[in-house]
Amino acid sequence: MTLVIDEDRLSETFAALASSTRRAILARLAEGEANVNELAGPFAMTLPAISKHIKVLERAGLVVRGQRAQYRPCTLNPAPLEEVSAWAGQCRAVWEARFDQLDVYLTRLRPQREAGEHDD
Amino acid sequence: MTDDSASQDAVVIERSFDAPVDLIWQMWTKPEHFRAWYGPDGATVPVAKMDVRAGGSRLVCMEMETPGGSVRMWFTGEYREVIQNQRLVYTESMCDEDGNALPPQGTGVPGGHPAQTEVMVELEDLGGRTKMVLTHTGIAAGSPGAAGWTMALSKLAAYVQPLATR
Repeated sequence: MTLVIDEDRLSETFAALASSTRRAILARLAEGEANVNELAGPFAMTLPAISKHIKVLERAGLVVRGQRAQYRPCTLNPAPLEEVSAWAGQCRAVWEARFDQLDVYLTRLRPQREAGEHDD
Repeated sequence: MTDDSASQDAVVIERSFDAPVDLIWQMWTKPEHFRAWYGPDGATVPVAKMDVRAGGSRLVCMEMETPGGSVRMWFTGEYREVIQNQRLVYTESMCDEDGNALPPQGTGVPGGHPAQTEVMVELEDLGGRTKMVLTHTGIAAGSPGAAGWTMALSKLAAYVQPLATR
């Protein structure tokens, strides 16, 4: 693992992802760029409300806005999701080691447990 | 090692243990058991305080030997769900030894760590054996019960991954 994870950004990414509306927006953008009107389509929400969600995603680096004057399409930037993925990889390795250790510990406890059962 | 789409974001690990469900429950909720397995690879757990009930707090210290001497790391959190022998949910943040949460950049943890994470343990009685599913997610600080968005995110990550590597 050589990828260095930016901790602040990781927290910001998790915060940005903690909304079903924002995840739906990202899922839509995974299919291709879209403008605010198009993104608002499936939601019973005002355009300003949708814009607010897009701004959160933009700040987290998950969405990039184009510069074309009126249209300003949103596109998905998957880089922060890769950091989430890297964090998960490291975290997984720690848990796997712990559970290996749990297996060992349970094996050590077994004679005691069996002795306890015979006491009945 | 399983490698499905869920491994892309939150950590989801499924394991079976050759022990009854009430014993596995105690592994998570009784400090004397928890300390025995939680700190592998040269780490020990000198402190594990657990008030195992919804809203109760926890404080865990891990100690690691490094070339520069032993290093202690403290974690605090709150139990969100406690259903005996079935389901345990708690939050986890780095903290000082008094349990005051630290900002992640002050902790010096290599590799980074989200400010707050949530650990969910689900147990299933297989008649003498136990199936355990662990889900560990990074969550937005202060957001109540963020568990549940994990699966939606997995789908998204699975969708995005081929695009990212293109």
